Amino acid sequence: VTVPRARVVVVDDDASVRRGLDRLLRSAGYDVETFASARAFLDRGDYNRADCLVFDVRMPGQTGLDLQKVLVEAGYDLPILFVTGHAELPMAAQALKGGAVDFMAKPFDDDMFLEAVRQATLRGRQPRRTDADRVRPASGDTGSR
Amino acid sequence: VSHPAATALLVAVAYYAGANLGLVLRLPPATPSVLWPPNTILTAALLMSPPRHWWRYLLAALPAHLLAELGVFPLTLVLALFVTNCSQALIAAAALWRFSDAPARFDTLRRVTLFILSAGLAAPFLSSFVDAAAVTVTLGESYWLVWRTRLFSNVLTELVLGPAIVLALSAGPAWLRNASRARKTEAALLVAALTLVGGWVFGIVTDSSGLIPGGSVLVFLLPLILLMTVMFGPGGASLALLTTSVIAIVAGAHGHGPFASLPRGDAVLALQLLFSGMAIPILCLAAVIMERRQAVRDLAEQLRLEMLLSRLCTTFLRLPSYEIEGAFARSMRQIGEAAGVDQVILWWQRRSDERVARYTWSAVRGTPGLVVRPEHEFPWTLAQVRVDEAVVFSRLEELPSAAARDVESFRWHGIRSAIIVPLVETVQARGTLCLFTMATERTWPEGLQQWLRLVGEALTSALARKEAEDALRASELSKSAILTSLSSAVAVLDLEGRIVDVNARWVRTAAEAVRPTPAGLAVGANLLHAWQQAARDGVPSASEAAAGIVGVLRNGHKEFSLEYSSRGPAREQWFVMSVVPLDHVDGGAVVSSTEITERKEAELEVQRSRQELAHFARVSTVGQLTASIAHELNQPLTGILTNARAGLRFLDAGPPDVAELRDILSDIVDDDKRAAVVIQRLREILRKGEIQRALLDVNVLVADVVRLLNSDAIIRNMAVTLDLHPQPVLAYGDRVELQQVILNLLINAMDAMTEVGEGDRTIVVTTEATLETVHVAVRDRGKGVSVNGSDRLFEPFFTTKPSGMGMGLAIARSVIEGHGGLIWATENAGGGAVFHFALPAAVADPV
Repeated sequence: VTVPRARVVVVDDDASVRRGLDRLLRSAGYDVETFASARAFLDRGDYNRADCLVFDVRMPGQTGLDLQKVLVEAGYDLPILFVTGHAELPMAAQALKGGAVDFMAKPFDDDMFLEAVRQATLRGRQPRRTDADRVRPASGDTGSR
Repeated sequence: VSHPAATALLVAVAYYAGANLGLVLRLPPATPSVLWPPNTILTAALLMSPPRHWWRYLLAALPAHLLAELGVFPLTLVLALFVTNCSQALIAAAALWRFSDAPARFDTLRRVTLFILSAGLAAPFLSSFVDAAAVTVTLGESYWLVWRTRLFSNVLTELVLGPAIVLALSAGPAWLRNASRARKTEAALLVAALTLVGGWVFGIVTDSSGLIPGGSVLVFLLPLILLMTVMFGPGGASLALLTTSVIAIVAGAHGHGPFASLPRGDAVLALQLLFSGMAIPILCLAAVIMERRQAVRDLAEQLRLEMLLSRLCTTFLRLPSYEIEGAFARSMRQIGEAAGVDQVILWWQRRSDERVARYTWSAVRGTPGLVVRPEHEFPWTLAQVRVDEAVVFSRLEELPSAAARDVESFRWHGIRSAIIVPLVETVQARGTLCLFTMATERTWPEGLQQWLRLVGEALTSALARKEAEDALRASELSKSAILTSLSSAVAVLDLEGRIVDVNARWVRTAAEAVRPTPAGLAVGANLLHAWQQAARDGVPSASEAAAGIVGVLRNGHKEFSLEYSSRGPAREQWFVMSVVPLDHVDGGAVVSSTEITERKEAELEVQRSRQELAHFARVSTVGQLTASIAHELNQPLTGILTNARAGLRFLDAGPPDVAELRDILSDIVDDDKRAAVVIQRLREILRKGEIQRALLDVNVLVADVVRLLNSDAIIRNMAVTLDLHPQPVLAYGDRVELQQVILNLLINAMDAMTEVGEGDRTIVVTTEATLETVHVAVRDRGKGVSVNGSDRLFEPFFTTKPSGMGMGLAIARSVIEGHGGLIWATENAGGGAVFHFALPAAVADPV
């Protein structure tokens, strides 16, 4: 039985960080696809093929948060993990409110990062839920609607 | 005798006495006298006074005439005789006043001839016809006898008594006052001798009548008369003639004398003819002698004047201008004495201050010169002088009626006659030379006038020269005073670099110098060689100094300036040396050396403070950039960490892919380098140290700073666009300082745009270059600068930001101005502000 390997997409304008994340994720057994900008990622299309999205927040042109907004508005519900070199609380709050699974400040511990990615891919393989469910995932009245 | 009434009275008395004398001297049978003084006395009075006064004397004579003759003759005859007597005097006086230049003088042949013809001959001749007629009609005497007797007696009286009276009254008092004792003794002896000899000849003293008959007696008298004539001129002649004729007539009346043997009437006639005939040549001779003497005197006088003139000229030529003033006082005396006047005044209007210089001399020792106000007192005279006309008058009456005011003033000052010569320099009347007489009236011979004109010219040229030299000296004095007062040491060099002259400060500097420096050489030493030697000895700045001096001396450079330091006795001293060309045909230069140690120390102190402040500002700026810098560092650190972890995982997982590991290590090295560059830039910005001027490309500076801010711009969602000049934009300056300025302007721009929220958040940085300047502009689209604030933007502690210190722009300004540039702010046309700065452009290869 071969479980298809989970696919992680990385969008970061910094080439060195991009390659480092690529290698780290590959060493953990993921398929990795990297993009240098939000535009390059959006141009690719076929977003559902990814099990986890890793976005840099600050990028020239569209930021990671902009990208998240675009995807949400387009109806996609993909697990997004933000990494940023410049962490600020409002930014983290906005990201999480938009459905991000985690928000990590660079530089980050590799184990924590991989654990976050694992959690995200697991959730990504579960059936899709509505936004409302996800906002209160632990509550008992999940199926009341 | 000046009072008219007194003169008239004197005339009356004299007339009465003369009439009595004449009546006594009458020889019967004819009525007329041998000698008849009244007519001559009247004539003399008329000769000595102007025609407008004549009526007084004629009127005064009438009572005297009546008094003398009424008892002798019938009234009608007395009155008729008065008329004829008056007519004789009037004819004589009128003719002389008409034709003679000086009716009362007998010192030229012309005057004497006119006197003889008018008074001596014509007047008695004409008046005698009526006189004889009156006598004949009244007394029945023989007409021709009366006519002849009256004629000859009056001719004799006029010729002998006339000059004697006039001269006794006009010249006599002065002669008595001024003649030496010896001269008076001579005169007295001669008169005594004449009287004795005359008495002897005419038989009064010695009764020897007829001893030597006929005119041969004159052999004894004539020599004495001639002697008196030669020795005493007309006065002596007339005195001698009068004396002898009176003796002869008195003798004749008493029947003595050489003509005693003749009938009495013939004897009188012979006497009259003899003395009249003798008087004419004697008077002429006296006049000729006087003329000769006068000519000799004139010549001597002229010579004296010429000598004085040439002495004045040479004196003024030779004297230095500052002694001319003193020489003028002496000259006034010499001129006054030479011309024989009582006052000499010279006015000269100075060109420098328009004031009037005044030099005076007075004949009376110790009395000051006249003080007059020409423009008020002598308007007419002044007007004449202004048109280069001399004013000359012997008597105030000669002045025209237009000069009434002047006449009044002359009279008030007691001036009787004057000559006033304009002093004309080129075409402008600058002053006057005035000679006045106060005691007497006098004439001004043409020669004297000419001479004074020449003297005036000599004085004018001396005054003009003095003015010119004074002006020159004043300017030289002021130059020298300036040189002396300078705090700079100044030396004048010749073309070779030798010191020709130095000021006092240079000498003092040389004396104070502990060890000899080129800037302390004495006159005669060669400053250029000294600097060149110092350059060979390796003295700092010496070669520049030498080259600079050579540049000005030989290569036509207009200016050279050099600041240099020299180790003084206690501390380092700073000097600025400036060299400029000497404006002189032989070339040369002026070197000035000024100690600027204090200024230099102050400058260095200011520079240090500025550096401290700038450093502090940089540290605080970097503090604001922490987030951006953290991001700049986080990126490579993240790259390093993730790559390293990935590598470890690959190793743990089994046989590693070597190629993969090499890539990982390579990326790690690159990231390390990237982090090192960020840190390097940070250290550069935070560097604290000496300003290092270097040739910089402002384009590169701008790009570096923008890169440092890049992350911040991204974080703050702003864009920085560069619009750089295509060629390198070169300026000479300190990299760190200029980067700080650009950084400050960019941070300000970002802060300004943060507050306006979303929109076009682009900052445009422009660089431009011209031949002279380098221009950098930072445009933002923020809230802009207020017009009021723009004046104060660059002042310290002016801020609009809640957290700002207000030092950024102040420091930027001090940096830019320290680089010789300008910084300013304008409104951005599309909203926002533009901050500009401009620096002097540098050439690619600065020397």
